[in-house]
Amino acid sequence: MKQAVYTIFVAFWACVLTVVALDALTPAAEAGDGQETKSTFTLAEVAEHDRLEDCWMAIEGHVYDFTAYIDQHPTPPEVLEPWCGKEATEGMRTKGYGRDHSERAWQMAEQYRVGSLAENGN
Amino acid sequence: MSARTAHRLVWLAALLPSLIFLAHLDASAVTSTSALLNTAGRLTGVAGLSMLLLAAILSARVPGFDQPFGGLTRLWRTHHLLGAWSLILLLLHPVLLALSAAGASIESAAATLLPPISDLASWSGWAALILMMIFLAPSFSFFGRPRYERWKKIHRLAGPAVALALVHDFWLSRGLPTWLDIVLWSALALLAVGAVGWRFVFSRRIGRLAYTVSEVTAVANNVVELSLEPRGRKLRHEAGNFVYLTLEDPSLAAGRGEEHPYTLSSSPDEGQLRVAIKSLGDASRAAQTVQPGTTARVEGPYGRFFVTPDRVSEPELWVAGGIGVTPFLARMRHLLHRGETADVCMIFCVQDPAREIFATELHNLADQLEGFRLNIHYFYREGPLSGSYLDEACPDISRRSVYICGPEPLNALVQQHAAAAGIAASRIHTEEFELL
Repeated sequence: MKQAVYTIFVAFWACVLTVVALDALTPAAEAGDGQETKSTFTLAEVAEHDRLEDCWMAIEGHVYDFTAYIDQHPTPPEVLEPWCGKEATEGMRTKGYGRDHSERAWQMAEQYRVGSLAENGN
Repeated sequence: MSARTAHRLVWLAALLPSLIFLAHLDASAVTSTSALLNTAGRLTGVAGLSMLLLAAILSARVPGFDQPFGGLTRLWRTHHLLGAWSLILLLLHPVLLALSAAGASIESAAATLLPPISDLASWSGWAALILMMIFLAPSFSFFGRPRYERWKKIHRLAGPAVALALVHDFWLSRGLPTWLDIVLWSALALLAVGAVGWRFVFSRRIGRLAYTVSEVTAVANNVVELSLEPRGRKLRHEAGNFVYLTLEDPSLAAGRGEEHPYTLSSSPDEGQLRVAIKSLGDASRAAQTVQPGTTARVEGPYGRFFVTPDRVSEPELWVAGGIGVTPFLARMRHLLHRGETADVCMIFCVQDPAREIFATELHNLADQLEGFRLNIHYFYREGPLSGSYLDEACPDISRRSVYICGPEPLNALVQQHAAAAGIAASRIHTEEFELL
């Protein structure tokens, strides 16, 4: 048992260091990726992107283009589809049994932000 | 209920949150490799935490509570295994979640392992895990064998580790409906807090009995037997039990005020308690020179070695190694006190005649107890205890229940011989005094 625990202990640090090293070696993605950054969109404009192949969401005053992320999301695309083209704050704040997404998920979403929601929505 | 069933129930309780978690999974949890890794990551978190909490609950050390589990040492073995599995699973937990996030990008994998500073929920998990690595490192001899008192002090970090793990869990857990999540973890957490509270607050106040060291007898050059007179209430115990003994002698070179486990060598019918202490570490070495009149605090009794401590109802084989003779000495004194017969074949394994502790008394007791056969096995002459020695010393071994108390290699050897002689595992009883 001692050996098993020690082996996992060493393997743990090996994995953590590998991930950190790989991350350090990967060039950082260009911010915004050429998208029309920090523009303002109305809900009507967001609503045009209401398919999995072109999926935008408005969340807490920001607009995100999640098209590229759909396949990587832990739950299947059908769970996200109804939120495409919509105000999706509720979906973001209440996943699973009504719990918020993690701090990390919110950070990851930043990569997909394309702008803000116009003040009076429509 | 047998001890084995009791231990199985502990494991079932430890696995219960995982089973409930699995029952609440939906199909999406296994649709992709990434989702599967994510599910496995969450499951290891749930299983690891519940095992950690069960291990904490088992650390309570309430006298009598260990009986259904076949004694405190067996309870500790389960505690130790739960701790080992908990650490293994909780080490896998963040790695699996990071691998799952690596499906998105290596950046998000790194962000899973090292989230932004503001993500206190994740960092409380990290803090708990680091504390676990620290307080469990000596338990699993990561960096060599620990000293007992040092190990014990470091092990107290388990408290903050459990608290931080619970913070992490309550903040992030989402595998179960909220009410069930709260009920389940709160129940386990309350039991764990209660257990630790008992251990560090109540057992010190009400669980310890005051005694006075009345006599110190040198048994060998590195073994003493202390006689303890009760100052008030007397400890009730059985032959083969052990206690935690705290010596308050201010002149002790080490171990003053520290509790250490020792087997009682006295008969439960005696008015006084006796413990034989062999010099094995700093505290037990210092105890060799303890002064009569010293205040001693006794907590116990613990352990359940003999099935029928007051009589020998079926033939028994006893194998003692060195200081492991103490529970047998207690029982011999007790059986003689009660005028019982004893169909016992005893093998006392020692290195050489110089280390044959309690030799005179053992031979006297063996002579007076009807049916008792005492054999002394000298390692320097005969080497490790062999099957043929056992057959010769005790030809009817297969019809006997076996009791072993001694160093681990001897223990393993005798268990092997006993199994080879066709003795069922349920009739082989061991008392281990090596804690790790």
